[in-house]
Amino acid sequence: MTGKPRPDLNDTATAPYWEAAARHELVLPRCDACGLVFFPPRELCPGCWSRELSWQTMGGGGTVWTFTEVHVAFYDDTWADDVPYVVAVIELDEAPRLLANLVEPDMDRLAIGDRVEATFEDRPEGLSLPMFQVVPS
Amino acid sequence: MSVLDGIAIVGVAETAIGKLPGRSAISLQAEAGAAAVAAAGLTKADIDGVFSFSGYSQAMMLHAGRVAEHLGLRPELAVVTDVGGPGTHHAALLNVAAAIDAGMCTAALCTYGENGISIRRSGRGRAPGTLTGGEDFEAPYGQIAMISGYALFAQRHMHLYGTTSEQLGAVAVTSRHHASLNDNAHKRDPITLADHQASPMISSPLRRLDCSLISDAGGAFVVTSIDRARSLGVPYARILGYGSAVTHHIGSQAPDLHELGGPVSAERAFERAGLTVADADAVYIHDACTFSVVAGVEALGLCGEGEGGPYAESGALALGSDCPVNLHGGMLSHGHAGGVFHLLDAVRQLQGSAGRRQVNGAEVVVAHGNGGVFSTFSTMVLGRGQ
Repeated sequence: MTGKPRPDLNDTATAPYWEAAARHELVLPRCDACGLVFFPPRELCPGCWSRELSWQTMGGGGTVWTFTEVHVAFYDDTWADDVPYVVAVIELDEAPRLLANLVEPDMDRLAIGDRVEATFEDRPEGLSLPMFQVVPS
Repeated sequence: MSVLDGIAIVGVAETAIGKLPGRSAISLQAEAGAAAVAAAGLTKADIDGVFSFSGYSQAMMLHAGRVAEHLGLRPELAVVTDVGGPGTHHAALLNVAAAIDAGMCTAALCTYGENGISIRRSGRGRAPGTLTGGEDFEAPYGQIAMISGYALFAQRHMHLYGTTSEQLGAVAVTSRHHASLNDNAHKRDPITLADHQASPMISSPLRRLDCSLISDAGGAFVVTSIDRARSLGVPYARILGYGSAVTHHIGSQAPDLHELGGPVSAERAFERAGLTVADADAVYIHDACTFSVVAGVEALGLCGEGEGGPYAESGALALGSDCPVNLHGGMLSHGHAGGVFHLLDAVRQLQGSAGRRQVNGAEVVVAHGNGGVFSTFSTMVLGRGQ
């Protein structure tokens, strides 16, 4: 067991994203020039290449765009205690899509289009990952 | 006129495929390479360009130079291309064509292959999560296997179009049938739809028999000018049209299914060839999973958007239909070592050397598919040399 993969918290383009996550806030870059909200964070706007960017707090709501339930611990035993786990692509209400796990999914009812809201999972050494949970309808 | 018009794929070869303990990837590539040169009617001294890719299971930098040294070659050119999927081999063809046109190369050897089974047993396989670029934003969530990326698209296709697991199973069953006609295939024992449905879930909705194999194998082809090919007197394939399209890299940034690059790539290739899919005698689709074939037949225009599942279920993929798919058995059954075998078998069909799986009189064969997870599409329309 080598531990789960970790993002690079020292990349200057993405560090504010992870610093906000550690406060249990979901923030994404918004281009000051063209207004595009985008993911993943980077040092320029992929729409217009402006480098004038601001961080915008997301509402945390979204929908399940697609998902898969992973049944196999691939490569080694890193994920052996987690299977089966759900990986989902979430479409945020603010438009960008991102990938995360669904927390406590009800596999008998889970469907594309389900409403979700952000939650956070704390991992060692100051890392928090945005996660999502289905909002009961 | 395009520089692609002037080149010929003259020799193809593949090693044994399956579990080959102790074999390094480069040794498999070299073995296939030497055999391909012989199949082309050429000798070592004729090769003045080497084009290769290490594969991902034992990824190496500066790989084409390693292949050249391994084979005792001192070529003018040693070039790596890494587009992903069939684009890797197609990009080599683009490079060779330009080099031949520029007078920098007269005969190029292109080698591919992996030891995906044996390297893993040795503990030297690649680190997970590095292939699809999601190191920061996907791997921490356990999105580390290619198949899980494909599963996300398959799930959405089922949601949007009503595609079923049984329809995906039809792809697996047909691929295995084709492999049963290919003595060099990794998996040749026929399977049934019931076998598919009973196979364990890997990453929903994809079951084990929806997944391509992991194989130890090498494959290679030789490219030269059409003039040279004619003087050699060997059967060859020529390029009628090529297209490509790139839309994204990491899974969460993919456009929706109908906006993926497949249809655009195919349209570009057919337009440049002055042909339509109706002219194709067979197609080869990079089948990382069964769903890749469903998406591929839609992209190529063999059926409408969202109709790939029923199309697969109708039997239209099988030898004997108007346009059979993956006659060598695909990566689902023949073997998976970077996907070069689709191109090799497309060439064999045009050379008339495909044995029991030969489409009689094949004139036009298409190799199509994606690298990454539906991120870089590539379509090569090949014709029989004349």
